[in-house]
Amino acid sequence: MIELKSVTKRFGSETAVDAISLTVERGELCALVGTSGCGKSTTLRMINRLIEHDGGEIHIEGRPIREFDGRLLRRRIGYAIQSTGLFPHWTVARNIGLVPRLLKWPAARVAERVEELMLLLGLPVEQFAAKYPAQLSGGQAQRVGVARALAADPDILLMDEPFGALDPITREGLQAELRDLQARLQKTIVFVTHDMDEALALADRLVVMNAGRIVQQGGPLELLRAPADDFVASLLGGDDRGLKAAAITRVGERMLPLATRPMPPARVSREATLHQALAVMFREHAERLAVVDGDDQPVGEISLRRIVGAGREGGGEP
Amino acid sequence: MSRSAFKRWRAPLAWCALLLVLATGGEWFEALLRWSDPEARRVLYPQADLLTLLLRHLWVVAIASGLAVVLGVGAAILVTRPGGRDFLPLVAQAASMGQTFPPVAVLALAVPVLGFGTWPIIVALLLYGLLPIVRNTLAGLEGLDPGVEEAARGMGMGAAQRLWRVELPLAAPVILAGIRTSVTVNIATAALGATVGASNLGAPIIAGIINGNTAYILQGAVLIGLLALTVDSLFARLSRRG
Amino acid sequence: MLRREAPSNPVVLMLSLAALACWLWLPLGSIAPNRIVPGTAYSLPEALGWPLTVASCLPLLGLAVVAWRPGRLAYYAALALTLLLLMALPLWLALMAQRHLDPELPQARLGIGAAGWLALFWLSLLLVELRTRLALAGWQLGLWLLPVLGAWWLTAPWLESLALWQEFRGRGEAFVEALVQHLLLVGGAVGTSLLLGAAIALAMRQNPRVERLGFALLNFLQTIPSLALFGLLLAPLAWLSARVEWLAALGVSGIGWAPAFLALLGYSLLPMVRNTFVALSEVDPGVLEAARGMGMSRGQVFRQVRLPLALPVVLEGVRITSVQAIGLTAVAALIGAGGLGTFIFQGLGQAAMDLVLLGALPILAMALAVDALLGALSRRLDHRNGQTTGASP
Repeated sequence: MIELKSVTKRFGSETAVDAISLTVERGELCALVGTSGCGKSTTLRMINRLIEHDGGEIHIEGRPIREFDGRLLRRRIGYAIQSTGLFPHWTVARNIGLVPRLLKWPAARVAERVEELMLLLGLPVEQFAAKYPAQLSGGQAQRVGVARALAADPDILLMDEPFGALDPITREGLQAELRDLQARLQKTIVFVTHDMDEALALADRLVVMNAGRIVQQGGPLELLRAPADDFVASLLGGDDRGLKAAAITRVGERMLPLATRPMPPARVSREATLHQALAVMFREHAERLAVVDGDDQPVGEISLRRIVGAGREGGGEP
Repeated sequence: MSRSAFKRWRAPLAWCALLLVLATGGEWFEALLRWSDPEARRVLYPQADLLTLLLRHLWVVAIASGLAVVLGVGAAILVTRPGGRDFLPLVAQAASMGQTFPPVAVLALAVPVLGFGTWPIIVALLLYGLLPIVRNTLAGLEGLDPGVEEAARGMGMGAAQRLWRVELPLAAPVILAGIRTSVTVNIATAALGATVGASNLGAPIIAGIINGNTAYILQGAVLIGLLALTVDSLFARLSRRG
Repeated sequence: MLRREAPSNPVVLMLSLAALACWLWLPLGSIAPNRIVPGTAYSLPEALGWPLTVASCLPLLGLAVVAWRPGRLAYYAALALTLLLLMALPLWLALMAQRHLDPELPQARLGIGAAGWLALFWLSLLLVELRTRLALAGWQLGLWLLPVLGAWWLTAPWLESLALWQEFRGRGEAFVEALVQHLLLVGGAVGTSLLLGAAIALAMRQNPRVERLGFALLNFLQTIPSLALFGLLLAPLAWLSARVEWLAALGVSGIGWAPAFLALLGYSLLPMVRNTFVALSEVDPGVLEAARGMGMSRGQVFRQVRLPLALPVVLEGVRITSVQAIGLTAVAALIGAGGLGTFIFQGLGQAAMDLVLLGALPILAMALAVDALLGALSRRLDHRNGQTTGASP
């Protein structure tokens, strides 16, 4: 668990981070979102003491981070950044094994761990272990960066726009992988991004920052339904945010149980989002869709009214 | 305007003025030179006055460097055009290998072929001075952002227009740096020309070394140093403008 | 005959025609009865008669044919022909010596003429061109050149009368001594400047004022011509050695190794400091951020990240400095520092061109060899250091 209590950071006369308080629960993926220069990266880097905070307190597992030696603290916290920061003169395997070696693990255990991680991140060992970073594609380099951050099995992972430099398709693929990874590993992750869609897709909780302050925090749907002010609303895409909410709500959450009347011919998966269901309706010129499970067996149905109503039901908007 | 212009040209002007004062006012400095070498029989280099030596030095460097610029830039332009591209790898490699040849060795090798005197030195300086110019012009022309080239073509510029209005202006700083290296090295190498019979600012130094006369050395060395600094600061000025 | 149609290669064609023209019209060599009298020049047909002349030209015509219809196989044929021409070069000189040298005159000597040198020049350019076309690595070209060196070595016994050889034989020991002196001066200056340059670069990284001042001073030093700097150091060092006893005891004086060493050091510092400074400064900030973020200590970041990433650029500085120092040391002979430059200036003084060659050729060879070796080493280290790009496969 990470706790920030009215943490402040000043650079000269400028206040980069202004008395922010934030708690990230164990196993939670918390996204810091905001425009560039809003203080989100600074906040992240104060957590592993790459930058020292000027005021307030930061606790990790209940202990103030000033009690730890900065270097030892950083070896316990995974760290992945946008430019990957892979050492160009080291092979992939050596890059991944960096922190375990800093922690003086025995060589055999380091090697074992490196293989394990490469497997975990879909990097075949015999193909990639001996390659140098310059020989990797952007997506592959970023996987290595994540593997390196996970190497010493840290409880906490800090990620600073790790997918920022990638093309949309590669980025979406890696986001999906990170979601799977998080479902399995249950790390405490603080994730900095300026891409609201990325934050909505990945985070359990979003923290929107502006000019060094936290403007709003909450779950994705909470934010979409009730943005605190115009700034948050515009970050969320203005009028588009209804569609964004539809994009993170599953059909299964909104469907009606099987009825006796005849099933509509067009179908959609229970796991699809409302956004995808809408797309199917457009394509099929249908106002009702049959909802099917993984085995293509009907489990319910969903109508246009149900989808459109979804925004209203749980929200606080009049 | 003129004030700021003067300010910008201050460094080259100052070096140049100092150079001219020292070159023309030999007799006035006799006392100073006397002090540098009290035992010497005479302290002013007797063969020719310093201004003549300076002008000869400049003349040789100017001719060699001028020709080197014309030939070097021309050759580099030719081999980067579609018609001459076959020669590009050879010229690029030869220019970069040639850079490793020490100037003294080039000068020394020129003598058996060309004989003693001023013209052999000019030819040797020309050949040696070509290399940095060719190399930098190639680097400048080849290093252009392909997007710019593409855009120029897209706007409908012809090959000649692209060369004059886009490629050369953009490559100019790199080309100028090459010319600067070439001229600086040539000023130094021309001084060595005194050992192969040229009469220039190297001559008092050689005479001083042979006769153990520090005053001679001082005259030659200080003037060559000032000449180099004048020219170098001139180029520094020019390159900051481009 | 050829599998692929390819456009003709004007480079090989032009080079072989240029070589042919020089070979036929310029003097192959000259023969002088002794060291002082200027020799009589002989062109190829005069020296060897037409049948041999035509035979010596055949490989060049072969090259022209290859240039007409190039292809990979054809380029290998061209390489073989070029090597054959190189192997045969001393042979023609030996034949010329055998036919025209008067056995009654033991002092008689054979000079290599313009045709010989220029043929060597054009053939070297041909090698460069063919190497590029065939994408040969340096060591591969080296292997190809071995038979040439072997052939030259085998021909050597018939070239006893070569003026260059006679100059060398007269000064065997002096030559070795000069070579050692040259290498010592270069090695000493480059080694010292590496240590000193690294120290200065580190100091500059700590303090921007030192950086500005240091670069201004070193740039200033670099613009002063070598001859002038050597000359200017004479007086102060003479003055010092006259007044400070232990300096004099060390052998420091106005002339000799001391001013040469100091001037070489001064010139070497700029490229060394510049490269070390740039190399240490321009490490990707993302890499440094990551290194720190992973919990590496300052020392670990410097030793494991900054230094290895800087090494190829530092090595590049050593290469530039060494090549420059090899040439400058030749000038240092003027102030009595010894080295191979001694022969150059002695030769120029006595108008003995072969003595000049005895000094200049090894200097040239040394510069080329050091450049090639250090360049290859730097590239080898750099090979892995390409920065990652964001491009997808």
